Amino acid sequence: MLIQINYKSGKPVYVQVVDQVKAASASGALKPGEALPCIRPLAEELRVNRNTIAKAYSELENMGVIETIPGKGCFLKHNNSPLRKDVRRKMLIEEIDQAIVQAHHLQVSRDEFLEAVRQRLAVFDQKRRASEDRED
Amino acid sequence: MNAPTSVIHIENLTYAYGRGSEAIDNFNLRVEAGRCYGLFGRNGAGKTTAIKCLLNLLRPERGHVRVFGIDPGKHEVEVKRRLTYVPDQVSFYPWMTIRETLDYLASFREHWNAATEQELLRRFHLDANRRAAALSKGQRTQVALIAAICPEPDLLLLDEPTSGLDPIVRREFIETVIGAYQEGNPGNRTILVSTHLISEFEGLIDEFTIMDRGRGLITLRADEARDRYKRIRARFSQSAPELDLSMALHVRRAGRELDVIVNGGGREVMDRLLKYNPEALTTEALTLEEIFVATSRDQETLNGPAVLENP
Repeated sequence: MLIQINYKSGKPVYVQVVDQVKAASASGALKPGEALPCIRPLAEELRVNRNTIAKAYSELENMGVIETIPGKGCFLKHNNSPLRKDVRRKMLIEEIDQAIVQAHHLQVSRDEFLEAVRQRLAVFDQKRRASEDRED
Repeated sequence: MNAPTSVIHIENLTYAYGRGSEAIDNFNLRVEAGRCYGLFGRNGAGKTTAIKCLLNLLRPERGHVRVFGIDPGKHEVEVKRRLTYVPDQVSFYPWMTIRETLDYLASFREHWNAATEQELLRRFHLDANRRAAALSKGQRTQVALIAAICPEPDLLLLDEPTSGLDPIVRREFIETVIGAYQEGNPGNRTILVSTHLISEFEGLIDEFTIMDRGRGLITLRADEARDRYKRIRARFSQSAPELDLSMALHVRRAGRELDVIVNGGGREVMDRLLKYNPEALTTEALTLEEIFVATSRDQETLNGPAVLENP
């Protein structure tokens, strides 16, 4: 799993880490039970404050995405989000709303937007299949 | 229980010109425990003077200075035993080896983490038997930084730690040192770093103050700053329209394009621009360095000739 920080995005750095771990888990780049990079080496590699990574990891742990095993590190949890389905749905809708607002500002039409969503879904499916093939 | 004391608390600090130090005028600074705090400013902005007042190397004319809630003017030793300081120019006794230098510096300290020392000497490929006289500037800084973090102080003061160094060298070691320092007890390891090389520290800084001519211009958390300061670019099919963008920090027009910098209110600027049907409209956050440039430029506009055109 590769994480990249973009200061131009305006998103808080820890949120970028959270989002990318979630994206890696959705795409299969990070599999359930797999270890996340340790805090200090990752902080050094990304050239960010270790507290930023620690904050991202504790956020991911609170969301039930990862779990910390003392003395061993952080691992992606087996796909059992503890959040109730309607809560998960609400979280997703907030993200979709942001994308819709952004599309409006960038003057992306409704059809283009929906087409882009379809394309991205296909990309993620493809990535997941590719990583499953490697597994087999 | 009382609210936790700030690690650094400076209020209305004033220090005048005339004794070879930069002046400071009514400067305020508050650094909480566990932060990596950036003090940004050009050369001569007063960063070093502020740090020297924390160390009682300079006596402020007016104002309130507390480190760990203690007045360094009255209890200098008490303050200094809990912090370490790396100035921009480090010098060691030239006849001592790195080993002797570190042992000498350790002898002033109650505590010394030998494992951290060994780890960093190895990572920086420093031969402990080399004499200080034979070290490059980068290596001297590395030794100084090792010596600063091994006592595991509550506060690490770094004054322009990477200036004058090869960019490749400094890229590698600043985060290594800060990472090693914070590792043991992140909530209590506090860093104040003064620098004009802001991009080096972009990801490390939690919060910062920009100084200009002895005064604090802005103080913000880094994430909040990148959220507020935005560059918005719009391109139109005809020449850029005349519109009211008085809420923007800077507006630059170049033919069909508008380049707007905002400090908050980006949405409103975008909405106004959208009414003129731009061909393209993009927005991005400013980096801390760009924020520094934008705010310093702002000062020049206030104090001197206007360098920017406003529609």
